[in-house]
Amino acid sequence: MGKISDALTKGNVDELKEVVQQALDNDAVPADLLNKGLLPGMEAVGQKWKNGEMFMPEVLRCAKAMSGAMDILRPRLAKEDLGSAGKMVIGTVSGDLHDIGKDLAAMMFEGAGYEVVNIGIDQPNEKFVEAAKEHKPTLLGMSALLTTTMPRMGEVINSLKEAGIRDQMAVIIGGAPVTQEFAEEIGADIYAPNAGSAVDLAREYFESKA
Amino acid sequence: MKINQTINKSPQFRVLSEDQIEQIYFSALEVMERTGGVVYHEGALELFKNSDALVEGNRVRIPITMVEEALKSYPRKITLKGRNGKRSLFLEKDMVSFGTGSDLPFTLDMNTGERRNTTYKDVSDASKLVDALSNFDFHMSHGIVTDAPNPQTYDRHQFMAMLENCTKPMVVTSVDGEGLEDLWKMGCLIQGGEHEFRLNPMFVVYIEPISPLKNDSTAVEKLLFAAEKRIPAMYTPCPSSGATAPATIAGMLVQSLAETLLAIVMCHLKNPGMPLIMGGVTTLLDMRKSTYSYGAPELSLASAANTDISKWLNLIMFSTGGCTDAKILDEQAASEQMMNLFYSYLSGANLIHDVGYIDHGTTASLESLVLNQEMIGMVKQFGKGINTDDEHLALDLIEKQGPGGEYVTTDHTFKYWKEWFMPQLQDRSDYETWVKNGSKTMGQRLKERTQHLLDTYQPEPLDEKLRKELKKICEDADKRHM
Repeated sequence: MGKISDALTKGNVDELKEVVQQALDNDAVPADLLNKGLLPGMEAVGQKWKNGEMFMPEVLRCAKAMSGAMDILRPRLAKEDLGSAGKMVIGTVSGDLHDIGKDLAAMMFEGAGYEVVNIGIDQPNEKFVEAAKEHKPTLLGMSALLTTTMPRMGEVINSLKEAGIRDQMAVIIGGAPVTQEFAEEIGADIYAPNAGSAVDLAREYFESKA
Repeated sequence: MKINQTINKSPQFRVLSEDQIEQIYFSALEVMERTGGVVYHEGALELFKNSDALVEGNRVRIPITMVEEALKSYPRKITLKGRNGKRSLFLEKDMVSFGTGSDLPFTLDMNTGERRNTTYKDVSDASKLVDALSNFDFHMSHGIVTDAPNPQTYDRHQFMAMLENCTKPMVVTSVDGEGLEDLWKMGCLIQGGEHEFRLNPMFVVYIEPISPLKNDSTAVEKLLFAAEKRIPAMYTPCPSSGATAPATIAGMLVQSLAETLLAIVMCHLKNPGMPLIMGGVTTLLDMRKSTYSYGAPELSLASAANTDISKWLNLIMFSTGGCTDAKILDEQAASEQMMNLFYSYLSGANLIHDVGYIDHGTTASLESLVLNQEMIGMVKQFGKGINTDDEHLALDLIEKQGPGGEYVTTDHTFKYWKEWFMPQLQDRSDYETWVKNGSKTMGQRLKERTQHLLDTYQPEPLDEKLRKELKKICEDADKRHM
């Protein structure tokens, strides 16, 4: 476990994949690898990030390593083993081609063990609904950088309601002009002011619902 | 008389040597052929397909000869005339002007100190101040009108708020091509027709690609409309070093230039000779806070270097200064704004925008505009340089007053002290006087001055008939978008 946590906090993608594969070959219990190795490792990374001891490029490299390890591990895990690390669909709304914030958030969630389906930029409302139906995420993320495209986020939420699937997932939104007030107005569950805080805010939300 | 003399009329400043500029330019050309960019606009792709460019899906790669051919056809000078009828903004090499930025979704309310959504009234107030403040040469909206009847037509109302309260030349933003067409029609009404607008444009339109190397359909639609009507436009990359551009300034400048060159070719294909301006908000993504920084010293350095490149390319430059990441107008704000204001000025950029921005380009502040009025005065004073002719060397005067003499009462002093910078808000009084006058901080003085200007300044009103015609364009747009 020490090796796993080590490779993870170093952000070494290849090394971590190798260590995880080796452990699996040596009959380690997949759930243990996740819960005793990877997740505590990422938690330490998250703590350092919050304390200002780690920076975005380092954290995202760790997240990338985590995501690579999860690709190997996920097929071997039972659904209940995944715990809080659920599935996320994320995209930028129609008319908006800005994606850096959304991509950073997606990487952070992958780092937290989420399986993330990134549907990309400029996505029409119905694409969000389709993706939500297809992937059955626990979390749906949307971003907009422009005040002209912000209203699309509310429309997506309405479309989810019309499709009768709004209650099956939490909705998280972000983007420079977006505020807590706006999130409440359109009926989103979580507002993240930046990519770095999104994972924590989602965790707090799910804990409050549990 | 002396020969072999060099006199510096002003201080000299540059970041890049000519060899370094060439390195960056040749690298950008390499990007054009090897990497290219993506364009999400059918009309533009069609233009590229009918040229020597290679189009694969949305990806466009452009041969160097096309780039260099296109580069030759851009103006080295653009002159703007505001609705005050003055040809006041001369954009040419090393001629510097200052103006606000645009479209800030939030405003730091002067009275409550709270951050809230920006309204029509806020844009009106900012416009009024820009008209009143002598060191602002052009006007951008500062805030974005979020209380317009429809977000799809906010740009017309925003322009209206600017026009009602400010007579200076402008840089405008629009929702899309249709929005730009309306703004252009409004501009033509003011200048007296299409040809008049072409000779005396009253605004430049601000358009931006999305870094890295991405051109969305709305941006391209606006750019092509500007090219068609020959409306001055800037296509301003906003790369964040380390996130949407390399973490090295050189790499960011290469990519940013490639983004510009793609637009240079695209506009040339559409209509050679449009007045296109080079731009760039070249800064970094803060790696602790994941924000796009408006106060980083790297912004100043990269922007000044970008201006060096623009001059070498014979392009007019739209740069950035007077902005900060600070959430309120505090010590951080003043230090950051001063730094990027100073270096953008020294670099000789033609339009320095975002003056007054706080909160890393998300919040508007009226007092910030007034603070920058003072700071621009300071940097301009520095730009005056030092005159070393006989009169200024003052040898006769030094002899006349002699050892132990005084200068306060001389004609020479009476004549030349007026060339000094005269602070309007900075306090240079002694301690006791300062206490006697209420021990006011700069913040308090700024607030008072701002309120005073808002209460007393009256911009020259729009002609009533013209106003109605302009309003009609806004209302027609609202009807179309009901």
